Amino acid sequence: MKVPDYYYLPGMEDNSSQNHNGQLDPSGGGNVSNKQNDDGSQRTQYSIPGILHFIQHEWAKFELERSQWEVERAELQARIAFLQGERKGQENVKSDLVRRIKMLEYALKQERAKFHKLKYGTELQQGDMKPPVFDDVVTDAKLEADAPFTSVSNISWRQGRQLLRQYLQEIGYADTILDVRSNRVRSLLGLNNNAECEENLNNSSPAVNGNESSNKRASETQGRRTPAKKTQPSSITEAMILDTEAAVMANFEFLSPDVDMDDDDDMSDDLDDQQDDETDDVKTAKRKNKVRPSVLCCQFGVLTLRIDFQCLMMNEGLADDVDAEAEEVLNELNLLTESEDAQNELRAPGGSPSMGFATSSRRPMGALGDDEGLDSSLGLGELAQLTVNNEAEAAYDQIASSKEAYRKMWNAKYTLRSHFDGVRALAFHPTEPVLITASEDHTLKLWNLQKTVPAKKSASLDVEPLYTFRSHTGPVLCLTMSGTGEQCYSGGLDGLIQCWNLPSPNIDPYDSFDPSVLTGSLVGHTDAVWGLSIHNQRMQLLSCGADGLVCLWSPQNKVPLLSTFSSPDDGQPTSVDFVHNETNQMVTAYNSSHCVIYDLETGKPVTRLETSQAENISQDKQINRVVTHPTLPLTVTAHEDRHIRFFDNVSGKMVHSMVAHLDAVTSLAIDPNGLYLLSGSHDCSIRLWNLDNKTCVQEITAHRKKFDESIYDVAFHPSKPYIASAGADALAKVFV
Amino acid sequence: MKMADGVTMLRRNRPGTKAADFCRWPDQPFEEMESTLVVQQYIQQQICHDPMNVTQILTPPESQDEGVWKYEHLRQFCLELNGLAVRLQAECHPEACTQMTATEQWIFLCAAHKTPKECPAIDYTRHTLDGAACLLNSNKYFPSRVSIKDSSVAKLGSVCRRVYRIFSHAYFHHRAIFDEFENTTYLCRRFTSFVIKVGCADFTLNSSCFRPDRAIHGGSEMIPVKDNEDESCFLVTKHSPWRGKYKRIFSIGTAGVTTYNPTNMEITNRWPYSDFMGALPGPNANHGQVSLA
Ligand SMILES: [Zn+2]
Ligand SMILES: [Zn+2]
Repeated sequence: MKVPDYYYLPGMEDNSSQNHNGQLDPSGGGNVSNKQNDDGSQRTQYSIPGILHFIQHEWAKFELERSQWEVERAELQARIAFLQGERKGQENVKSDLVRRIKMLEYALKQERAKFHKLKYGTELQQGDMKPPVFDDVVTDAKLEADAPFTSVSNISWRQGRQLLRQYLQEIGYADTILDVRSNRVRSLLGLNNNAECEENLNNSSPAVNGNESSNKRASETQGRRTPAKKTQPSSITEAMILDTEAAVMANFEFLSPDVDMDDDDDMSDDLDDQQDDETDDVKTAKRKNKVRPSVLCCQFGVLTLRIDFQCLMMNEGLADDVDAEAEEVLNELNLLTESEDAQNELRAPGGSPSMGFATSSRRPMGALGDDEGLDSSLGLGELAQLTVNNEAEAAYDQIASSKEAYRKMWNAKYTLRSHFDGVRALAFHPTEPVLITASEDHTLKLWNLQKTVPAKKSASLDVEPLYTFRSHTGPVLCLTMSGTGEQCYSGGLDGLIQCWNLPSPNIDPYDSFDPSVLTGSLVGHTDAVWGLSIHNQRMQLLSCGADGLVCLWSPQNKVPLLSTFSSPDDGQPTSVDFVHNETNQMVTAYNSSHCVIYDLETGKPVTRLETSQAENISQDKQINRVVTHPTLPLTVTAHEDRHIRFFDNVSGKMVHSMVAHLDAVTSLAIDPNGLYLLSGSHDCSIRLWNLDNKTCVQEITAHRKKFDESIYDVAFHPSKPYIASAGADALAKVFV
Repeated sequence: MKMADGVTMLRRNRPGTKAADFCRWPDQPFEEMESTLVVQQYIQQQICHDPMNVTQILTPPESQDEGVWKYEHLRQFCLELNGLAVRLQAECHPEACTQMTATEQWIFLCAAHKTPKECPAIDYTRHTLDGAACLLNSNKYFPSRVSIKDSSVAKLGSVCRRVYRIFSHAYFHHRAIFDEFENTTYLCRRFTSFVIKVGCADFTLNSSCFRPDRAIHGGSEMIPVKDNEDESCFLVTKHSPWRGKYKRIFSIGTAGVTTYNPTNMEITNRWPYSDFMGALPGPNANHGQVSLA
């Protein structure tokens, strides 16, 4: 008896081999074998067993596929259940937040009434003074029932959480899934300890998968963890605080499950401390409020909201792209709270991680405690508006005040595309979010960052230029703006310095040509003008050109050229700047790598900076840019040999030298406060440096190469938190 | 050249570079260019090499994507046209050139506005260049400089058409400027050849375009000729109350207007100018609709 050895498919041996045995005899063959014989030798492989085998093989294949489909179906069903669970979670979050908002509103009204009564001795007539009634909770709507009310809402939260937890269990959204997800988050973050968690509150890091899920995770985890952590509360107030703390802890634990609970406790304490430090008024108010439960309710609402912000931020602060993220969060919130505009607004600040939640939540708190803020017409919507309006300003304050905690990370926000060729220079308006770019396409363009082109999807906004300055007959190489923001000056390859009046930043881009925008040309250079620097108090302008001259101008004068300096031994001047901490000096850098401080009155060198210690004067060492510190006797030079060097203006000694980029450093800018240095390089990146310790704070790849050039210029806005870069790829970018 | 002695030569215009040395580096073979801006680099290198060698400049490297080639050339034309615009600003005053005209027969409306406007010639020039800068840099239509969607390539035609009017205006109204500019840049000659050679399909098919084969003889296409020589031809869609829409080549001559059937080049109509009462832009004037009365 022969069983073909290819019949090894499981479950087939018994009956199938039986059949085959009978049919193995060639004479017993039916139609098939007859046909085979007829067809000749080439078809002899079509034996009955062979066919049967084929059919069985096919059958087995189908079976396999069927089981695969079944698995797939099960997976999809699980997925559906999962998504439904997520939806449910979202709804819970939503109703929870709605509830909190209602509580806040209610408490605000109460406060207002109290205040009114105290001040005028009469009852304030406001709309409905009933505490909010929640769908899922039976609330006794009595006015005096402050304490019961809080407990009721507290209960409703727990109910919600309990419900959520039950639901999660039902759909098998078990701890393992949560763990898997948290692991994923952790691996994305590459962090395992609390300190870094906390840092994530302040800094943005790589993106996690969608906000929705992270948002939801927070609440889920809350739901999951809270019951376990619950202790017997001695009072309702404490219970609530404990509850919140537990929620916070749960969130921290969710990010770092390896750490034990003690750490978590410390953590949340720290967190609370931090909050309290930032919001002293909150704390005092909070203490006072133990006596006044109605206020407490409101305060607590804010507190929880704030903590929620924190949870959100912890998750969302991870986002790579803050703006896109914030936008998404807003969108998401819109979905979440379709009908709850006020809530949406209130939460908006929390959604933008770089801004810092503390400020945003402090504002409404301050307003609550502050009598003046409690204008009787002040609704919650306005309250929230207040926060939003102050957001940017407050954020900047924070950068200045606590740079340790709030180390700002810059993100590309605006792309200025309209030049046909490399952008050689850019200059910001002293006060407005307005800038001018100068390009090799012979033009300069004026941009108002508030006039953006609506962009879809993309995180960075496009800005359309408002005005095109045409007068140069060749590439425009350098640019500077006056301290009033009314004039700007540009130098070109054509050897001219053009003086421009800035058109209004609200001009129609297709207005008729106004020749008075160009006020005149400063003629003096006979070759390309490569450097410009303006002194606002003196109303003077310095320029340097490829003709070897450095010129001092007073553009308003009838005869604008005041004096010229030349020093043929030093080579071609490449960059020039006023010495800002001395009244009458300028510094000039040369392509020979020399750098000299001159007295403007006498025209004599004051200090020769020791730039050429290595005594290897070649084009590799040429200085591309020189800037002086706004207050210190410090000069910074950007070199072709990838270095940035720092010099003491008095001694001329080199203070510090560092390889700053992977390629030639082309441009430098010092922020108005003298704390940070920004550098641009042909390695396509800009880098932000802390001037204190000369460490790189941030690196951003900003532009692409054209031939062997990439970035030509960088700038700080003199008064607003903007930085910008200009590149050979015909783009300029603004970062916020 | 100072930097040529190094092991690796970097093509850079470092600060302090003299105007005469600007971009004067040894040519880099197209194959060796690596950046995303290779086509621009290549075109500019060719122009820098010899602006008069129009054929050379307009010859694409092998296997070059046609859309990108057209696009980058058009960018370069608009870039260099800034030079003409600067010169025109000095002479083409809105009081003198109140409208954008070339041969007095047509008033070109400025399409940069929401509703096309009869901008003075200098505004037309500036607005057209500004509008072209925005369009050609638009993230929507030209997000990449390495590959370009066909639908966006179609946009290039309208830019060509409008840009050509700037040359025409300068030629007919500011001849000295035109000549001075043309003799250094060869830009109009290059542009004319570009349109013919690269064949902006749109440019020849759309209405109110210069017919390219009239523009072959470098610049001379705009010289007024005696008698009724066709000065400029347009492929138009005739809106006739009797026969509906049909295509005609519309030619403006020195003595009258002629229409030809584009399929067999037969003259279908000819009217002397004395027969016209006027030419008015139609309701869709930015699409080249004109009512003749
Ligand atoms: Zn004119
Ligand atoms: Zn216009």
